[in-house]
Amino acid sequence: MLNLRHSLKRLNPKLLTKYLFIGDWLIVIASLIGVFFLFQTLWSNESAAKVQITVGDKIYATYSLNQQREIHIHGKLGDTVISISQGKARFAKSPCHTQYCVHQGWLTHAGQAAICLPNQVSLELLGETKPYDSLNY
Amino acid sequence: MRYLLIPLLLLLTSCFKEPLYHSQSYVFGTLVDISIYGESDELARQHADHILQDFQSLHNRFHAWKPISATQLSELGELNAAFQAGKQVPISPDLASILADATTLSVKSNGLFNPAIGQLIGTWGFQHDEFSPIDIDDAKIQALVKAKPAMTDIVIKGKIAYSTNPAVKLDLGGYAKGYALDIAAAYLRQQHVKDALINIGGNIIALGQHGDKPWRVGIQHPRSPTAIATLDLADGWAIGTSGDYQRYFMLNGKRYCHIIDPRTGYPTQHTQAVTVLVPPSKNSGVLSDVTSKPIFIESPENRLKTAQAFGIENFMVIDAQSNIFVSKQMAQKLHWVTTGVKFTTLP
Amino acid sequence: MKTIHIQTSIDDHRVAKLAAFAIALHMVEAIIPSPLPGVKPGIANIVTLYVLYQYGFATAAWVSILRVFASSLLLGLFLSPTFALGLSGAICSLCILWLATHLPKKWFGPVSLSILAAFAHIGGQLLMVRLWLIPHAGVAYLVPIFAVAALFFGCINGLITAKLLAKDSH
Repeated sequence: MLNLRHSLKRLNPKLLTKYLFIGDWLIVIASLIGVFFLFQTLWSNESAAKVQITVGDKIYATYSLNQQREIHIHGKLGDTVISISQGKARFAKSPCHTQYCVHQGWLTHAGQAAICLPNQVSLELLGETKPYDSLNY
Repeated sequence: MRYLLIPLLLLLTSCFKEPLYHSQSYVFGTLVDISIYGESDELARQHADHILQDFQSLHNRFHAWKPISATQLSELGELNAAFQAGKQVPISPDLASILADATTLSVKSNGLFNPAIGQLIGTWGFQHDEFSPIDIDDAKIQALVKAKPAMTDIVIKGKIAYSTNPAVKLDLGGYAKGYALDIAAAYLRQQHVKDALINIGGNIIALGQHGDKPWRVGIQHPRSPTAIATLDLADGWAIGTSGDYQRYFMLNGKRYCHIIDPRTGYPTQHTQAVTVLVPPSKNSGVLSDVTSKPIFIESPENRLKTAQAFGIENFMVIDAQSNIFVSKQMAQKLHWVTTGVKFTTLP
Repeated sequence: MKTIHIQTSIDDHRVAKLAAFAIALHMVEAIIPSPLPGVKPGIANIVTLYVLYQYGFATAAWVSILRVFASSLLLGLFLSPTFALGLSGAICSLCILWLATHLPKKWFGPVSLSILAAFAHIGGQLLMVRLWLIPHAGVAYLVPIFAVAALFFGCINGLITAKLLAKDSH
């Protein structure tokens, strides 16, 4: 009754014209457009997937946020510890006096950033598109 | 199915790299962030390096407390030393014009913007890269307030400057970043760079736009590591924020920020942040830096008047209770990052 | 010893036979490794669609649900997350198929139904994943990939069904 193998073998482009009615084409086209927009919206505004660490003028490294990890960085004053945990990142320890960077807490969304001016270390969560070009503070 | 894959692949590969150069550096004791659009990376880097060198030189010359070396004061340091000793001192033309401009702005602000209170700022411990809670010396603070250091005490005659009040000690902390922005914008225009965004320690000026869209900036939330709102910065516009979160210390559960009210000698505690948006002009950078201070310091009922005195139509105030006040023009430009933000529109 | 006798109709036998066929396809698919976890051709859906056209919606629903229960029992995954995903996917796609049977037959053939069912299937599964298994917004990142797979395999399964139906009508 269902000779599948035979059918698969005979599947060729001619089938498209034979078995696709006008409504089917419409559905295919609508689906293509829908899928395209899915890519555009969901792959651009996703919650942050990566954290970029900058030390001084240089990008130090970029890490995936999908891990549990501590990163030790040697900055101008000393060692800064950055924690990464399940989609978020933060300054865990800093040699600076004011500890502003540590008080910033967890960063969770693309575009969020924390800076440690004294030790010249900064964190930025990256998304496909930045929500803004620069931050006024 | 081949027919299905081809358009899909075409759609997916339609994203390619944009010609955006971006650099980040620590100059001016703060973070400098330069974006240049539409130039080759090589040329953009040269321009950015030039700007950074300019900044470094301004920083060295006009730093309020850091000497160039153990034996040599900065240019501003020399000036301050002479003012305190009641001596005359030679002054460079650009510093003379900075002081003249700062004096005009200080008068306009009824003395709330006052770069002459360097001693007060020092007493509060903010003239250090690293500072900690201080023991508040009320007697000293009162004496410094009583001495009434003012920009109008400074006299500039040709290439010579002196102060009629030895209490005057200049700290250009609320002016220099804006000044540097104007210098950088002028340099880029002269080099025919059309599209750039310069951010010095949070003060931003825009040139042109980001490709076919305007430059977009985020405004820092004063109490969490995120933007509270975003807005588009058109060609020539500048934005600046004064916040109690930038430099502060906590003492007995109270926040003492670096924005000091010259009338009382104490840090302003009724406001978290003031953001001003300044239309294009030759000194929009300076205005974005300076004008947020008097609005920050002024009592809540007089804020609007202070903004009007400077012709500032676009501004936002977040008070100590986290209430948000936005001017009518500004309200139309802001895009709140989260929905349901409650704010009061000022007339 | 007591033997229980259950009266079975021809319909029951037909459902059983067709479901057995769907289960077999499901098993085959379970063995074939997938390049991306969760992305599967869903060839068992060909049976559901075929039955829908030949014997109507009720039979198709029976076959589809039986297939989900029986294959999970056979694979030892009954009441596991995999089973829950399969069930929610099957229910969603059946709902869509019921709606789709009301589309004008002249313009919408098996390919339409197959694509719609595939989207509904993956939609139901992802909803389950998001609500129960991975309550994290990161799931959204996978949606486009699954959507592409659903469109692609939906088309192919639809074409195969159309071909089978055409052959049977001769």
